[in-house]
Amino acid sequence: MPKEIILDITNDGEISIETKGFKGKSCMKESAFLEEVLGKQLHQQLTPAYYEFDPNENRKKILNLCG
Amino acid sequence: MSHLTKIELEINDLNALKNTCNRLGFKFLENQKTYKWFGKFMGDSPLPEGLSISDLGKCHHAISAPNCSYEIGVVKQGNKFVLLWDYWHSGGLDKKIGTNGGKLKQAYTIEKAKWEATKKGYSCTEHKTEKGIQLRIRL
Repeated sequence: MPKEIILDITNDGEISIETKGFKGKSCMKESAFLEEVLGKQLHQQLTPAYYEFDPNENRKKILNLCG
Repeated sequence: MSHLTKIELEINDLNALKNTCNRLGFKFLENQKTYKWFGKFMGDSPLPEGLSISDLGKCHHAISAPNCSYEIGVVKQGNKFVLLWDYWHSGGLDKKIGTNGGKLKQAYTIEKAKWEATKKGYSCTEHKTEKGIQLRIRL
């Protein structure tokens, strides 16, 4: 699925931003530039894809050194 | 879908506002210090935050729309711009931009988002929807 940021702007000027095709927290980083230049965030809803594992995300690995 | 955000618009880019005017067929009147309105505050709507009655009619720039006798004032407040207009129907602006300026806000949002997305090398497509306009930005 291609990565997309979708803006819906109603004729009343209401703005909603939706991200598609992202896994994990990368959607937040990729769409942040729009949220910063357009105004104040009123509400945010995370979807199941947000909690999915992103293989590109750095994760801490804990090794058990004591055997 | 990964997440969904609702945003309250702040106008902070004069170039995007100029592009908005071009898009809507309006004229951006740079450095015009007054805008046309009824000329007397009737107290039928709240004043915008940080402004008093004596500030009405004064602006840093103005916008005129075709076939409207009233104009829109663009007032700089810190890093952002506030738009002032008299929505009384005889001035004609309510039909052009909507009572709450929704059509102007919509056009500004599209122009600003397209500009920022293009700067990053992303492609944009616009689609009309039942409630307004959808802008799809492909990364």
